[in-house]
Amino acid sequence: MPDVPQNAGYMVAAYIVTAVILLGYAVSLYRRTDKP
Amino acid sequence: MSLTQKGRWITVVALVCLAAVYVRALAFTPVERLQGPAQKIFYLHVPAALWTEAAMILVGLAGIFYLFLKDPRLDRFAEASAEVGTVFATIVLTTGPIWGKPIWGTWWTWDARLTSTLLLFFLYVGYLLVRGAVRDPGLRARYAAVLGICGMCLVPFIHLSVFLFRTLHPQPIILKPSAPSLPSSMLATWLFSLVAFTLLYVGFVTQRYALSLARDAQCGGSPGHA
Repeated sequence: MPDVPQNAGYMVAAYIVTAVILLGYAVSLYRRTDKP
Repeated sequence: MSLTQKGRWITVVALVCLAAVYVRALAFTPVERLQGPAQKIFYLHVPAALWTEAAMILVGLAGIFYLFLKDPRLDRFAEASAEVGTVFATIVLTTGPIWGKPIWGTWWTWDARLTSTLLLFFLYVGYLLVRGAVRDPGLRARYAAVLGICGMCLVPFIHLSVFLFRTLHPQPIILKPSAPSLPSSMLATWLFSLVAFTLLYVGFVTQRYALSLARDAQCGGSPGHA
């Protein structure tokens, strides 16, 4: 049986990138809609 | 409760759901034996890709109806959907190469699926640039509607590209005529993630729509739409 590839770093990078993009956009929307 | 507040609440619920997806995917979903932990990028990449395509279909449909009805609400919705679609497309085009590198051995290849997805991203960006460049609201809405319809026509090609061409990108394992080829625990995590991304789309679009509404009100209604 082949060993499971050790590539968790890529997974972590993708999860961080996604969180940054989504949170960044959420904050951007919050700031734009918060202006009087 | 105002539309902005509704959008914010939906977004907060969506982000909490997404945090739960992270916990479930990283800690409680089994690691795929052949691809290793990198396969878990699937739980973010695929729901984001589905909503990238769905958002453009909705932009195109709103554009078609706008050209007939000239209802400014349709134009506002299309603008909101396009902006959120651009955000999701950015996620797809960043998580895809990060997944591709350990599995395919390359960050990028110019195959039909990847290239057409990149083209969709450029269409999204072009759509937003056109909206920013044209000052007359009526003209802006008509140009944007036509561009949105073009983008909508691209979506079926993107989805079918893996069947029409020999591509490095795999064929669908969930959205296909036969049953999904995933273990139930992985499928449950993916479905949970799809719900989170759906809520994110709704929350973001609601807030973005409210922003357009406020801007139109500041400009004294929506001249040129009628």
